[in-house]
Amino acid sequence: MKLTALRLHNVKRFAGRGIAVEGITDGVNVLSAANEHGKSTCFEALHALFFQPHSGTPKNVQMLRPYSGGNPIVEADISIETGRYRLTKQFYSGRRASVTDLGSGRIVAQADEAEAFIGDLISGGTSGPAGLLWVRQGVTGIENRSKSEEENDKRVRESLLSSVQGEVEALTGGRRMTAVLEACEEELNRLVTTTLRPKTGGRFAAALEERDRLQAEEARLAKEVEMLHGALDRRRSVQARLRELENTDEEAGRKAAIANAEAVLEAAKLHERELKALDAEAALAASRRDAAQQAYDRFLTALNRSGELARRFALAQKELSNAAERRTASLVESEAAAAEVQAAEEEERVNREWLARLEAALRSRHAAERLAELRQRLEQAEAARQQIEDGEAAHALLAIPADAIERLEALDLKIVGLRAAAEVGLPTLRIDYLKDVSGTVSMDRQPLPGGEDKSFAGMARLDIAGVGTLTIHSSRQAEQDGALETAQSARQTLLAKLGVDSLLAARQRDIAARSKHEELVRARQRLADLAPKGIDALHLDAARFAELSEGPVELDADPEEVRTRLADATRRIERARNRAREASMMRTEAGEAILRAQTEHARLHQELEAIEAIIGPEAVRNDVQQDLAVELSSAKEQFDAAELRAGPLRRTGRDLAGAEAALARARSVADAAGREIARLREELADLGGQIRTRSDSAVEENWSEIRDLLAAAREQVKRFETEVAVLDRLRKALTATRAAARDLYLKPVMNELAPLVGLLFDDISITFDGDSLLPQIVRRNGLDEDVDRLSGGMREQLSVLTRLAFARLLTRDGRPAPVILDDALVYSDDDRIERMFDALHRQSRDQQILVFSCRQRAFARLGGNVLAMQPWQPD
Amino acid sequence: MFSFLHSSDLHIGKRFGNLPEDLRGRLREARHGVITRLASAAREHGADTILLAGDTFDTETPTPAVLRQALGEMARNRPLRWVLLPGNHDSLLADQLWSAARGVLPDNVILATEAAPMMLAPEVILLPAPCTTRRPGRDLTEWMTGAATPNGAIRIGLAHGPIQEFSEDATATNVIAPNRATLAGLDYMALGDWHGPVTVDARTYYSGAPEPDRFKHDRPGQAMVVSIAGPGAMPTTTAVTTASFSWQTLQLPLLASEDGVEALKAALPEPFTRRQTLLRVALSGRARLNGRTAMISLLEQVAPEFAHLEIDTDLLGTDCESDDLEIIDRAGALRDAAELLLAESLDDARSGDDRGVSREALIRLFSYCETIDR
Repeated sequence: MKLTALRLHNVKRFAGRGIAVEGITDGVNVLSAANEHGKSTCFEALHALFFQPHSGTPKNVQMLRPYSGGNPIVEADISIETGRYRLTKQFYSGRRASVTDLGSGRIVAQADEAEAFIGDLISGGTSGPAGLLWVRQGVTGIENRSKSEEENDKRVRESLLSSVQGEVEALTGGRRMTAVLEACEEELNRLVTTTLRPKTGGRFAAALEERDRLQAEEARLAKEVEMLHGALDRRRSVQARLRELENTDEEAGRKAAIANAEAVLEAAKLHERELKALDAEAALAASRRDAAQQAYDRFLTALNRSGELARRFALAQKELSNAAERRTASLVESEAAAAEVQAAEEEERVNREWLARLEAALRSRHAAERLAELRQRLEQAEAARQQIEDGEAAHALLAIPADAIERLEALDLKIVGLRAAAEVGLPTLRIDYLKDVSGTVSMDRQPLPGGEDKSFAGMARLDIAGVGTLTIHSSRQAEQDGALETAQSARQTLLAKLGVDSLLAARQRDIAARSKHEELVRARQRLADLAPKGIDALHLDAARFAELSEGPVELDADPEEVRTRLADATRRIERARNRAREASMMRTEAGEAILRAQTEHARLHQELEAIEAIIGPEAVRNDVQQDLAVELSSAKEQFDAAELRAGPLRRTGRDLAGAEAALARARSVADAAGREIARLREELADLGGQIRTRSDSAVEENWSEIRDLLAAAREQVKRFETEVAVLDRLRKALTATRAAARDLYLKPVMNELAPLVGLLFDDISITFDGDSLLPQIVRRNGLDEDVDRLSGGMREQLSVLTRLAFARLLTRDGRPAPVILDDALVYSDDDRIERMFDALHRQSRDQQILVFSCRQRAFARLGGNVLAMQPWQPD
Repeated sequence: MFSFLHSSDLHIGKRFGNLPEDLRGRLREARHGVITRLASAAREHGADTILLAGDTFDTETPTPAVLRQALGEMARNRPLRWVLLPGNHDSLLADQLWSAARGVLPDNVILATEAAPMMLAPEVILLPAPCTTRRPGRDLTEWMTGAATPNGAIRIGLAHGPIQEFSEDATATNVIAPNRATLAGLDYMALGDWHGPVTVDARTYYSGAPEPDRFKHDRPGQAMVVSIAGPGAMPTTTAVTTASFSWQTLQLPLLASEDGVEALKAALPEPFTRRQTLLRVALSGRARLNGRTAMISLLEQVAPEFAHLEIDTDLLGTDCESDDLEIIDRAGALRDAAELLLAESLDDARSGDDRGVSREALIRLFSYCETIDR
């Protein structure tokens, strides 16, 4: 937003008239006039236009009114992004607010809508700084501050802070915020600790204690009351019970019940006795009857048994004789078998011995044959061995080392080579003899053959027969390097070692040695064939066979025949033995059968005897049976008679135990009633005591009182809890918004402020505390100074700079705002003012600044758009 | 012509633990003192009999002091006759109470502990229906319908309990037939239990408590003087004031635009009655922040003049307009905090308690700011 004009009418000293300040431009605008010309009025009117609702008449509005009264009108033209507008407000009667679009001349908003329009201009919401930034003479905010507050020592730093931070402080709530927080915390601290625990000794803690105490007391009394009520209930029931028990009818009833039960018991006892006698009689009869029955039954059984036994006895006897026959037969068989075994065994023995003899003779004969063959082979082997020994000796003489021949050949070649080399280059001589002449010239006493070149070295002496001695000297000497001689000597040594005189001879010997060696190999092969395990093994074999062949060698029978006979004998033995075993088993079985038959026989005999003892001899048996039958029927009759008498008594049986129990119960009822009466009386006395004690001490009243007290105490605690919650909530809200405001604005503003401070004060620097954002240290001429020492001039300069910093911030946010300075630099010297204006001009490239000043001279040469007041009447 | 005084629910011995300590003694004493006031009312109106329709004592086991002093006070007012009916608080189950009372009973006090006709005067028969237990669960007055009385006698019923589904004890199972007077041919039915006076029909009345003990009824404590000319004649009744303390509820519904302070000032009881008045101010409707704080501070200012003063703001909504917020601050962190708290107090997504805390915090902030600016 930018201001372009300001008009006011009927404001303060302009009673009944008006002035206008037109042509306010971008950049620095200066309205310079002497005191009492209405600069401050302009300032206040502008402030009211933007900040006072047209409908109200608070102090700030009252102050606008001239002494003579009337309706102040304030008007301003502004320019914003969307266009140019005129804002008008009239206070007191005819109060109105309007916004007129200067482009179209139409009113775009009135009354509350106009207020809202203006509100939008000056704030980006309540959390932002106002869209107009004000600095006033000597004060730093537009709000009033009391003198005493300013002078308070404790506030010194804060007021300094405010001088620097100005509008910033409005954002964080400033001193109001501090005061509210203090009040809030003071109240909170009276109740709780910093961790919101009830503070010991505080009212909250006391209320909690009181509640807990009452709670315990209430529980105790509730229990008491419950006991009291219990006792009352119990006493009522005890009394009711007593009345019941002590009723005379009841008492008589109990006695009658006892008498009755006694009579019943007596009758039951009598009946019981009679029945017992009859029962005894019947039991006796029954036992007699049972005995007779048993005797009769026994007789019949024995009779049947005796017939059976006689039949089985006969069978047993027959079995016995059968078994005896079987045993005799088995004995005969057994003996025959034993004799057969013996005979067969004898025959087997004879044949076995015979066979052994025959086999020995066969072995001797075979050994003699082997011995002859072995001896012949031994002779041949010995011969072969002799041949090997001879061959080896001969071969040793002939053998030469494997490489000797090669070495000899190599030496011969070398010698020939050397010799040829020696002769090359030597002078030669040749004689060609005349026909038929020979042997007439010799050289070195050797005849010199004709027709061939002969070389010589040094000197050659030719003896020419018949002529004399021809000596030829040559300057060439034979080369005396000794190689030839060495080779020849080596050859000579080698030949000597081999024992031959030439290479040829050596070769011949080598051939002879090879043929000898082959001969030797053949002889060894033969020996190996003849005696594969060596000659000694052959000798041992020979000795063994010689020994074996010494036994008899004559045969007296055919061995095969003897062997067959032996096998026959063996089979006979087997058969005979089986026969013997079979017979033995038969014998054993027959013995056992005899034993069994005898035992059965004896047993049957005994039993038969016993039975006969019961039934008696045949003759009297019928009589005995008759007697027994008669006895049985008589016993039965007796028993039936006894039962007939006992029957009715049994059917009308009385319950003796029941009668006894009934009597006991009747007696115990009476006893119990007596005891209960006594007990209840005692209890009644006890209960009476308890009830009296408790009701006399008013437990019920106390309880009801305590319950009320407890409810009140709980409410009190709840009130404290709410109070703490409310205060805590408030404190949290306050600290949170303050911190948010600081984070949002203070730091950015500080960032903006730093370069501005640098512009103005090149000789000092100010350090701000990072947390509190209070100016911390002023460094001037290299010395640190206490911030409290800042001069008034410096304070107001800082104040202006802070606004400028804010304005920069707002501009950067896209919400440009005018900065309005009303005699803001009264304490500053001219030099500073000039610097300040440099700063302002620099700033005003993108910033509207309105300066109201009375220092006409000082401001005259500072530049800027000079504004003037002119008379104005509203339409 | 037979005249008597009908009262009930004296609740002698009640302790009032929920009220401040110094007030408790006075209230207790007032309950005892009502005996004398009833007696003088009876004398003044020419009644020689006082029928107490139950709950004379607050508990089943009053202390000997309470019991003896009450009986002593009754005895002092001879020749007036006192008829005591067991109510639900002092039912027949309270045998300790009644047996102790019998032990020291003055000759002018009659205990109506049996449901049997009782002669009050020649040709005047009382039919009492004593409470057998705290909650009998049946209509105890039923026997009155069949009760025989001499011809030409005035029949007076005396009973304690609810006649509808209302009761001082909230759980009513022992409902008395409302037309019992007609059914039983009673000339007058004296009822107790309800602490406020109620006319059921021309012959049936609740006298109400002579000395109130709670804010519920909002009526001055009184007793009923009843005169019956003869059998079948309509009874004439006169209410007489007997209370020494007044329990008042001041309902003050407010509109946001209204000046609550002025309305409050106008509605407060006369200053000379305040010492004997327990006042509950129930603010409801809507009030502005400043109006609210002003009302509360006014009430806090006058509170010491009253026996007791309670403020109930549960139903009072708080309006916070922008100029209220302006008072807190034009802008900045204080204003932010205020708007935050305002938003929270109106945020339906929060619990009622949370909203309440935020609202109270806002009110507190407002009052701090007011104090600072003052």
